[in-house]
Amino acid sequence: MTTTVDPVTAVPVRKGITVKAPVERAFKVFTEGFDSWWPRSHHIGKSPLAEEVLELRVGGRCYGRCIDGSECDWGSILVLEPPHRLVLAWQITTQWQFEPDLAKSSEVEVRFTPQDDGSTRVELEHRHLDRHGLGADAVRAAIDSPNGWGGILALYAVQAEGSAAPAQ
Amino acid sequence: MPSVTPYLPSVDTYQAAQLDALGDATRRAIVERLLAGPLSVGELASHFPVSRPAISQHLRVLKDANLVLDRPEGTRRVYELNSEGFASLRDYFDQFWNQALAAYKNAVEDRSNEEER
Repeated sequence: MTTTVDPVTAVPVRKGITVKAPVERAFKVFTEGFDSWWPRSHHIGKSPLAEEVLELRVGGRCYGRCIDGSECDWGSILVLEPPHRLVLAWQITTQWQFEPDLAKSSEVEVRFTPQDDGSTRVELEHRHLDRHGLGADAVRAAIDSPNGWGGILALYAVQAEGSAAPAQ
Repeated sequence: MPSVTPYLPSVDTYQAAQLDALGDATRRAIVERLLAGPLSVGELASHFPVSRPAISQHLRVLKDANLVLDRPEGTRRVYELNSEGFASLRDYFDQFWNQALAAYKNAVEDRSNEEER
């Protein structure tokens, strides 16, 4: 595989969403309530996920607690400025393992901005994706999860029906 | 292998061809070998209990699906993964965050009238 930076991967993923809630609540659900909405399937532990935990302090761990009691780190908190800003290190290698080296990790920044109508604009940027290497996890995903498609389509269906209840 | 369900980009014919190409165990194994770096047909064949022409045939399918590239290197031809052919990491997260933020929005709004936790 080439070692040059994939120009596509070097471009951050940017997302925005407006939620009908004050900024304090929007921030609180994203952080303290992280476990309530995080997609259950996105989990790197060897046993099913019991709970996602964010240690809400700078340097705090982000990890999943599995039903067998094991803990699976996947990130850490780089910036915590309630209720407006949060930056996480995304420390998952292309082999789906914890990456202790922040220089090989990407970053997720989330900004919460109050709107005039009382809602909150949430802007998310996932950047430095090139630090993970060249799309190799997409390769892994395609190889290792031949059943992934069914799950994805089911999730889309749930969303389309408006009942994307977080987590079960 | 940890239990990860990937949120892959939406199905289209191009990706369907890729899924077909990866539907074969030998071809998946070839791709896994190429994750470590470029290899020639002969080097690849040494890892598999199938003939070199069979490996070449598998490589052709992978190449047609844009999953591998080949290029001359000295007197031999080497194969490597085509990073543009695979759904990029960016595509993966693009889809993932759509899904995650939709769930987040529901969590915020569904509980708007409830007591704070």
